[in-house]
Amino acid sequence: MKKHHIRAILLLLLAVLVCSFSGLDFLNMHKEEALFPSSNLTAKKKLSDYFPGLKNSPGDSSVYIFEGQKRGGILLILGGTHPNEPAGFITAILLVENLAVKQGKVIIVPRANNSGFMHNDPQEGNPQRYSLDTPGGTRWFRYGSRLTNPIHQWPDPVLYVNPAGQKLSGTESRNLNRCYPGRKNGYLTEKIAYGIMRLIDDERIDLAIDLHEAAPEYPVINAIVFHENSAELAAIAQITLQMEGVDIRLEASPPNLRGLSHREWGDFAKTRAILLETANTSHGRLRGKPSASLIVEGRDKNYQKAAQLGRLFVHFDKNGIPLKQRVSRHLASLIALISGLYELHPELPIQLDNLPSPVEVLQVGIGPFLKPSK
Amino acid sequence: MIQIIYHVIVLYLTIHLIWFIIREKKFWSQMSGVIVLIMFLLRLFLIK
Repeated sequence: MKKHHIRAILLLLLAVLVCSFSGLDFLNMHKEEALFPSSNLTAKKKLSDYFPGLKNSPGDSSVYIFEGQKRGGILLILGGTHPNEPAGFITAILLVENLAVKQGKVIIVPRANNSGFMHNDPQEGNPQRYSLDTPGGTRWFRYGSRLTNPIHQWPDPVLYVNPAGQKLSGTESRNLNRCYPGRKNGYLTEKIAYGIMRLIDDERIDLAIDLHEAAPEYPVINAIVFHENSAELAAIAQITLQMEGVDIRLEASPPNLRGLSHREWGDFAKTRAILLETANTSHGRLRGKPSASLIVEGRDKNYQKAAQLGRLFVHFDKNGIPLKQRVSRHLASLIALISGLYELHPELPIQLDNLPSPVEVLQVGIGPFLKPSK
Repeated sequence: MIQIIYHVIVLYLTIHLIWFIIREKKFWSQMSGVIVLIMFLLRLFLIK
């Protein structure tokens, strides 16, 4: 055997070694974080119970149902449509771990795009997870990608025509919030969207809320995006929030922007459709080094400078915009929307108990409201 | 079906890369091949 042959064998062994380590690291992202539902949970289902086409697929996801003893309105809350927008996901987890429903029904899907949690965006340097301290120890949560994992949905078309007929760039075929109302036999992401539409139909949802975040330099921020069937509800919620000192703007869902939850849920499922946005520093293009602390603390010198130059759509100072503030904002908006729904439709009351108070979350953080890790 | 075609293409290129690394005499060319091979292996096993 020649010298370069021996060297080739050693280098091939090195390649296998590197693949093993990096492969284990990547596969580690398929592991789901622990979630400890409140004792008041009525039922736990899967998205595949509403659309069997998702069964045993990475798009299947847990659906948590809390039902009160008295009948009332039915609310759907979606977290994790975009797994790189942690405030929506953590708000959904906070609700699942604390909620009790006295009247009406609340259905929560914390990982709307489950596949998106199983990878993160290449070349962004984002951490795979971040941690929150609870009184019983530290708990970690997955930081994923805006899009479905390409391992689960490939190849992307060059031009994507979504189920609502909008032409988009190919990668958007993996963006859950461009794939509504979904397709029964379409791409995995379209099947997830179809499953969520089935859930809305089967459960006769009265109000559906999609929790999101956006970059601080993006204009639709700290906002309630509403379908025209929910304009009055959104306006009432805005007044309530402004009176409580939560500055929030209203954005009407553009009728020509198709495939988004706040458009298609209203058009196709005829439910009241709302999307909530907060400002996520780790999501923005101006941010410095990505890290778990950037996700949780939301402090960044570049954004401070951008704010001083008047380039942002939100106030940003040295304290940043921490996760607890964004979750508190989502909670306050949810409460305002539920109370607004009752004001407009007294026949649809939803009475919640044990809901973490937005003010307390802002003061003491998220950790005290999460169950200790086991 | 598309998954099978994809696997066959990636496997074909992986075998070519391994053959290149074995035949190549220059160390840095072999090393470059290994760096590319790692990505092909991760693709082949649908890890990343």
